[in-house]
Amino acid sequence: MLKDSRAGMADIYRGLSSWRTWSMLAWNDVRGRYRRSGLGQFWLTLSMAATIFGMGFVYARLFALNVSTYLPYITVTFVAWGIISTVVVESCNALSENEHMLRQLPLPRSLFACRVIARNLIVAAHNVLLIPVVFIWFHVGINANILWIVLGLGLLVVNAFWIAYLLSIICARYRDVPQIVSSVMQVIFFVTPVIYLPAQLAQRGVTLLKWNPFANLLEIVRDPILGAVPSSWALLSCATMAIVGLAMVVPFAGHYAPRVVYWL
Amino acid sequence: MPSITLQDVCVDLPIYNSRGRSLKSAILAQTVGGGLADDRDQNVVVIRALNHVTLHLEHGSKVALIGANGAGKTTLLRVMGKIYPPTGGVADVVGRIACLTDLNVGMDPEATGYENIRMRGVLLGLTRQEIAKLVPDVAEFTELGEYLTLPIRCYSQGMMLRLAFGISTAIQPEIILLDEIIGVGDQAFAERARQRLNSLIEAASILVLASHNLHTISQFCSSAIWMSHGRVIDRGPAAEVLDRYENGVQPP
Repeated sequence: MLKDSRAGMADIYRGLSSWRTWSMLAWNDVRGRYRRSGLGQFWLTLSMAATIFGMGFVYARLFALNVSTYLPYITVTFVAWGIISTVVVESCNALSENEHMLRQLPLPRSLFACRVIARNLIVAAHNVLLIPVVFIWFHVGINANILWIVLGLGLLVVNAFWIAYLLSIICARYRDVPQIVSSVMQVIFFVTPVIYLPAQLAQRGVTLLKWNPFANLLEIVRDPILGAVPSSWALLSCATMAIVGLAMVVPFAGHYAPRVVYWL
Repeated sequence: MPSITLQDVCVDLPIYNSRGRSLKSAILAQTVGGGLADDRDQNVVVIRALNHVTLHLEHGSKVALIGANGAGKTTLLRVMGKIYPPTGGVADVVGRIACLTDLNVGMDPEATGYENIRMRGVLLGLTRQEIAKLVPDVAEFTELGEYLTLPIRCYSQGMMLRLAFGISTAIQPEIILLDEIIGVGDQAFAERARQRLNSLIEAASILVLASHNLHTISQFCSSAIWMSHGRVIDRGPAAEVLDRYENGVQPP
C-alpha cells in the first residue's frame, strides 16, 4: 500500500512536471480538430452560441422565466458543464487512444489526464468569450464575488484530475466502461441544474440536489460569475471530494498505472 | 555512468479476448462465483515473454540480440527502454535512452514538418533552447527545405521516412535500443543516414541491437545474447555466439 502510494505520487509528479508535453499535446488537439476549417477553433464558440441561444429562448418560455436572467444563467452553466462532462467522457479514452505513444515512450500516465483537462480548459476559454457578450446584451453586471472563481476553478480542476486519472486507467483495462460512463453522464446532465435553476427544484420541495457532487462542482464555478458567493456546503463538499478522491486514486494508480501498457 | 541491470526479470503479457475486456463479464464472473471461474480464465491468456532474464550492461557494451521470431528480443528492448515494467524481478536502467524501434512515434499527419520536429522535441522532454537547436539540424539533414512548412500528410513515403529518421536521430543518447538497422530512402540519402546512425552509435555508451542480419551484427556489436522462448540461452563475444547460433549448437 505504501509502495503503491509512493509510485502513484511519483507518476503524478512526473506527469505534472511534463507540463510542456501535455500543454503542447492539448493545443495540438484543439488546433487539429479545426485545422482545415476557415473559422478554425472559433467553430467551438459558434456552436456553443447556437446551443445557448436556441435553448435559451425555448426554455425561458417553457419555464416561464425572464429571458434576460435565464439566458445569462445557461450561458454560464453550459460553459462550466462543458468542462465537467467532456473531461469525464474524454478521459475514458485518454490512455487507450494513445497506445502507439505509450508503447514507444516511457511517459507518465497522469500526463494524459492532464492533457484531457488542459484541452478542455482551452476549449472553455473559447466558449467563455460568449459570457461578456451575453452579459452586456442583457445588462448583467459582475461584482467582487467573481474572485471566488479562483477557488471554484481550482477545486474543479483537482476533482477533474482524479476522476480523469482514475477513469483513464480503468477504461484501458475494461473497454465497455467508456460506454457506461457516457450514458451515466447523460443521466447526470438531467439531474444537475444545467438547463434549469436549482431554485426551481427547491420550490417543488426537492432538496436532494446538494448530494449531487456534479451540482456542487457546477455551483462553485457558476455562482461567482453570476455574482453570488458559492454556498459553503458546495465548497466544503467539493474540497472533501477532492481530498478523498486523490487519496483513493494515488495508491490505485501506483498499483495499476504501470500495467496500462500491457492492456493496450 | 549509463548502465542496464536486469535481475531475474520476467514479463507476462496478458492477452485478452473481448470478454476479458468487459467489466460486465468480470463482475458477473465474480458474483456468479465458483462454477464460472474456469470460464473466466479462458478470457485471459498469459504469455511469458521474458523468463528470468538476468544481465548487466555497462559503458562500452555493444550487444546484439539474436534469436528466432517470438524469442523475446523486442520485449527485452522494451524492458530496457522502460516501456514495459517487469512483472517479476527488477530492471534498473540509468542513462538517456533512445528506443529507435518506431521512428514515427508522436507524428501528427495534419501538422507541418516544422511543427512535428518541435512536437517530438517536447515529447522527448527537451527544453525550448534545445528544440530551437534541433530544428535547423533536422531541416539540414533531411534536405526537405520548403516542404517542412507543409502538413506531413502531403509527404511521399520517402520524405516521411527522411523526416522521421532525421528527428529520431537528432539527439545523442547514451543508450541506443535498436530493432533492426533502419534503411532509409534513395541511394544518396541512405548513405547519409547510415553515416548519421553510425556516428550516433559510435558516440553512445551502450548499444543493444536486435537483428537477424549477421553482417550488421558483426559490424556494430562486440558481444551477443542469444534468446529463445524468453530465456537467454547463450552469451559471449559476438563471433563465438553467432557461430554457435548459425550451426544451431546449443551451449551446454
